[in-house]
Amino acid sequence: MAEETYPINIWINEERLEKLQAAGLASMTKEVLAGLKVIAVPNTADQRDKILKIFPVAKYDAATTRSIENMPRQIKDKIFDLIVKNKSLNVMDEFIKSVEK
Amino acid sequence: MEMIGHGGKEIIERVLAKDAALKRVEELKAAKVKTLDVRLQLATEILDIAYGFFSPLEGFMTKADVESVINNMTLADGKTVWSIPIVYDISSADLEKSGIKQYDEVLLTYTGNPFAIFDITDIFTLDTKEVAMKVYGTTEDKHPGVKRTYQYQDKFLGGKITLLNPPKINEPFTKFWLTPKQMRERFKEKGWEMIINHQTRNVPHTGHEWLMKGAYLGAYGSMMVDKPRGGILVNAMIGSKRPGDYIDEAIILCQEAQGKHGYFRDDIFLTTCTLWDMRYAGPKEAIFHACLRTNLGCTHHMFGRDHAGVGTYYDPYDAHRIFERLPKGSLNITPIFNLDWWFCPVCDEVTYMGLCGHKDKKASFSGTLIRSIIQDGVKPPRRIFRPEVFDMIMECAEKYGFGDAFVTEDYLKNRQPVFTIGPLK
Ligand SMILES: [Zn+2]
Repeated sequence: MAEETYPINIWINEERLEKLQAAGLASMTKEVLAGLKVIAVPNTADQRDKILKIFPVAKYDAATTRSIENMPRQIKDKIFDLIVKNKSLNVMDEFIKSVEK
Repeated sequence: MEMIGHGGKEIIERVLAKDAALKRVEELKAAKVKTLDVRLQLATEILDIAYGFFSPLEGFMTKADVESVINNMTLADGKTVWSIPIVYDISSADLEKSGIKQYDEVLLTYTGNPFAIFDITDIFTLDTKEVAMKVYGTTEDKHPGVKRTYQYQDKFLGGKITLLNPPKINEPFTKFWLTPKQMRERFKEKGWEMIINHQTRNVPHTGHEWLMKGAYLGAYGSMMVDKPRGGILVNAMIGSKRPGDYIDEAIILCQEAQGKHGYFRDDIFLTTCTLWDMRYAGPKEAIFHACLRTNLGCTHHMFGRDHAGVGTYYDPYDAHRIFERLPKGSLNITPIFNLDWWFCPVCDEVTYMGLCGHKDKKASFSGTLIRSIIQDGVKPPRRIFRPEVFDMIMECAEKYGFGDAFVTEDYLKNRQPVFTIGPLK
């Protein structure tokens, strides 16, 4: 079995897609469910635990999606903006640091 | 019109007309009968009993009924199938304080207003651990039905209920709450001979839509198509909520939206609700749903994967297999068993597990996945989720959910009640 990446799924609407395209990052998305696009932001087990602690509403869905769910939309927006800024999916350390303060 | 319900008996309706109710309340007050104020959980089931949703039950179960239900899956008569105890609990301290004894007639109030008469014929205790094990198959209090069972007070009262004061069903539920008799009248007006029940506590995605369409096509069979002779009843369970559930208002209005926007023809589709706190009893709850929907006048009932289940307590198809254990003819409703519907990128359509041969390519409609998309405020493709249903979710979030389509602490605390009991006058 492939190593788990405990992703946070950021679903892509037109607004987010435009930002990604402008930054040349449209290829970061993958298609699920009838053309719906998503960015799966990977986390290490350690990052996952920190996220769950910082956002008590969030939970890791081990049963079905194997992803971190229930993250508030505004928080996902912040993660998304970091991805666009850094042109990379490797943003969780920076993100966690910014919210831990 | 024929009003035969579950167990082959006439639908129970134990509701006094207003004049008679006013007179009875005066008499009860003059006789200084004891009163008990009931909580929402009990008030809900009093309404269900009084209007015949629980036919042939006429009141809260006696010990003999509960024991038979948990051990034999029948009422105390030994033949009427029943799978979930319907009980009235009270603490020893409250019982003592009230002075209530067996064979007392008690006036029940709700939110301080006269509500119902309770003819108490049995006062008893239960081993809640035994009840949990026999109904839910587990004694873990993580299971919401078990948790509810453990939260019962230590004494139980059994006996008949008579409703004095009908509920005011508040918006937006008003037009969706029909009593079993009213539902049957509605079916008759529509000319339906076949009524397929779809059980839900969800906002519908196209997986649900196709589940219903598949059941409709399958059950319609060789009936003439000159006019619609059958329809789908979406009967939403409206009751106690847990954080993270869809809010009740979104469930009922989004279900209705499927008919309003033509995904189902108006003349083959009806959305209603039943007031019921889900027990998540899986197979046992499936049997209960079958009894309940028989009372509503349905001829067929859909049972999907992991029907009324929770966590990993039940095998996904336990709720199908349990029907095989029932004696022939003990239920007057035909179960329709469903496998999963999924989206197949090869077939390029929503398709059925029993049909599509691209299992390794399937994209499943998990509730969690759909929720994740909705929480992001992202409108899914219309093949997955109907845009009108999505718009309705967003509208409900603003109008009823304090900005959220899912139950929050804020919603639990501040939502408008589904029904109220006013002064009797
Ligand atoms: Zn296929």
